[in-house]
Amino acid sequence: MGIYEKNLKTLAKYYPEMDVMIKEAKDNLQPDLEILEEVSCDGEVILKIKRGDRICYLNGRRNAKEPAQVWVKTLGELQRNAPVFIVGVGNPSYLRELVEQTEKRIAIIVYEPSLQIFLKFLEMVDIESWMEKHLLVFWVEGIRDMDAEHVKGIFQTLFSYETLNFSRSLILPNYDVLFTEKIVDYMRIRRDIVLNEVLQFNTKEIFSHIMVRNLFSNVKYLCDGYKTTQLVEVIPRDIPGIVVAAGPSLNKNIQELKHAKGKAFIIAVDTAMKPLLDAGIEPDMFAVIDAMKPLELVKIEKARSIPLLTMLNAAPEVLDYHTGMKFFFNQGYEFAEKIFRKSKWKEGEVSCGGSVATSVFSLLYKIGINTIILVGQDLAYTDNKSHADGTFHEVMEQVDTSKFRMVEGNYEKEVPTRSDFKVFIDWYNMYIEGCKNYREGFRVINATEGGAKINNTEVMALKDAIEKECTKEVDIQACLRQLPPMLDEEGRTWAVEHLQSMPKEFVGVSKEANKIKKQYLKLDKICDKKKIDNKEYLHILKELEKHIQLLEQNEAYQLIEITMNSAKSILRNEQFLSEESVQEEGKEIARKGILYMENVVKMADVFKEYAQEVFSEEALAVQD
Amino acid sequence: MKEKIAKLYSDLGEIGVLYQVYNIRNNVEQIAKVVPEIQEFVLWFLEGNQFGIEEMLYRDMCNNLLLILGDIVEAMEQKDMVLLHDAAYYGLMEYLQLFVATE
Repeated sequence: MGIYEKNLKTLAKYYPEMDVMIKEAKDNLQPDLEILEEVSCDGEVILKIKRGDRICYLNGRRNAKEPAQVWVKTLGELQRNAPVFIVGVGNPSYLRELVEQTEKRIAIIVYEPSLQIFLKFLEMVDIESWMEKHLLVFWVEGIRDMDAEHVKGIFQTLFSYETLNFSRSLILPNYDVLFTEKIVDYMRIRRDIVLNEVLQFNTKEIFSHIMVRNLFSNVKYLCDGYKTTQLVEVIPRDIPGIVVAAGPSLNKNIQELKHAKGKAFIIAVDTAMKPLLDAGIEPDMFAVIDAMKPLELVKIEKARSIPLLTMLNAAPEVLDYHTGMKFFFNQGYEFAEKIFRKSKWKEGEVSCGGSVATSVFSLLYKIGINTIILVGQDLAYTDNKSHADGTFHEVMEQVDTSKFRMVEGNYEKEVPTRSDFKVFIDWYNMYIEGCKNYREGFRVINATEGGAKINNTEVMALKDAIEKECTKEVDIQACLRQLPPMLDEEGRTWAVEHLQSMPKEFVGVSKEANKIKKQYLKLDKICDKKKIDNKEYLHILKELEKHIQLLEQNEAYQLIEITMNSAKSILRNEQFLSEESVQEEGKEIARKGILYMENVVKMADVFKEYAQEVFSEEALAVQD
Repeated sequence: MKEKIAKLYSDLGEIGVLYQVYNIRNNVEQIAKVVPEIQEFVLWFLEGNQFGIEEMLYRDMCNNLLLILGDIVEAMEQKDMVLLHDAAYYGLMEYLQLFVATE
């Protein structure tokens, strides 16, 4: 059996069917480059690639080994399970050095933009021992299902905020000039996923100090509030839903929305409320989900009674100001979920997608609306503005977008956008595709007259969209008036008592955290010994795991955890770090664990007092 | 000449390290800036055996130097960073080092 056949067998052992997929790809291969072989002065088989009018070596003619050796040295000590991304296998010495010089098991993801080069690679080196030693993933263009869409899944699995610092990457020299476009696409996917991870972490970080305050302040509104799943009962499905976002294009067609009133379910995002009400258009509902949304954006008398789609962690000032129906959806905070469960209405989440408009979009889809019209959803700096006039300022300032990232536009070839907008564009692309696959006949009309292109949408002027789709009369407010609050009297009484019992829950957390701290102290003591009793060491780790799991299930701990985002992240990093010896590793785990639990105890005490104040009889009685 | 060689050795060394250690892949542009110095060195070396090297060895060295020069020219034309790094860092610099080392 030759090396190539042996490699196919090895790959099939780790990735069933991969041998078949490679053979299939090989049979359908349409060569687009010429591979020339040479032997270097230091005895390595090296490749020279002729592609179009370019001829490039993938490895040096004189010294083929040293550049790879130097590269591996520059990586420093790689942590266990750290992901290393390599583009290109045409010079196998990089992969060989990495695999052979790294003792800890790591995850190596190799992207090869050329099937021809990959097939050549399989003839050149035996990868069996490499596959045994590390988690080695080959992603090769031209092999079935190994496309950009699917590679996202791999990146999402491997990248977490905690692994970002440990991950390493390399594009083999000359790959960037030989396969520029493919590599740029691949790197973009990686960048977007990394960006998303960072964005999520930073968002949690930014909001961690106010999130619990918001949750505590808002949860009382559940007692008299409504669930989004109730909407399914009263909103007709044969009318379109309109998402009114606050992008700069909203000014172009805002007046048209008057013709949709009474013929669609119109939901506006918070920032669009001012321009809408100024134009004399009252949406059927508006949405506020931002934890720090300034009240000023919606502080308009008319807005107070318009039904509100909101979240438990939205800015409480807005919820306090608002007097109308408040619609909530399940968010997974156990202390609030218990109240939701008392409501007897179906559970229902809304996919947030990161912005208020994406949440509204998801809500409309989930309540069964089949045609959604997007208005003012630019997700780009149309006319160099971030938002519509009349939102943050009467006339929004034009900004210099010359250095902005460009994306395909609805009407223009390219439009400038921001990283967070790009995340929302990607969300729409992903979500709408899923919706369409799941529900036949689901349509999205993008009536944003400018802005960035969203895949799978029909670009249409709002006037035309209303004429075509808004053909049936509907009184949304009359529909909503039919709904009772989600809790009946009995449920409401229970909810009030439940909230009043929250201080006790924090006392429980404090006790449990103290117990865990004691176990960490025990671990520290075990690791002081010259010779560790392995049985005892493993037993204490198991005990710790059990108690931590128990703590994590506690509804009150969940609230404390939100405020300790960074500390949690440091603890998670632990799994990737390894010390010189088991003793040192154990002592480090104990040190961090003790510190973490001490903080949990402190926070539990603070929260107990806060809960006593917020959920006092008087405070909850205000809602009666 | 020795000063020029030392300067060229240092320049090429820096470009090589930036490329190899820091992944700064602009060696084609950077080496293009020292091509006149490279030419001057090669011509000087080929001018005659003025170093007391055994004649046969000197001739082999000249042939090898011409191959290195050929690779540098090809790499510059093709903008081939791998070949250029190899020819400059593992080829030409070994010649330059002979003179820098004696210095």
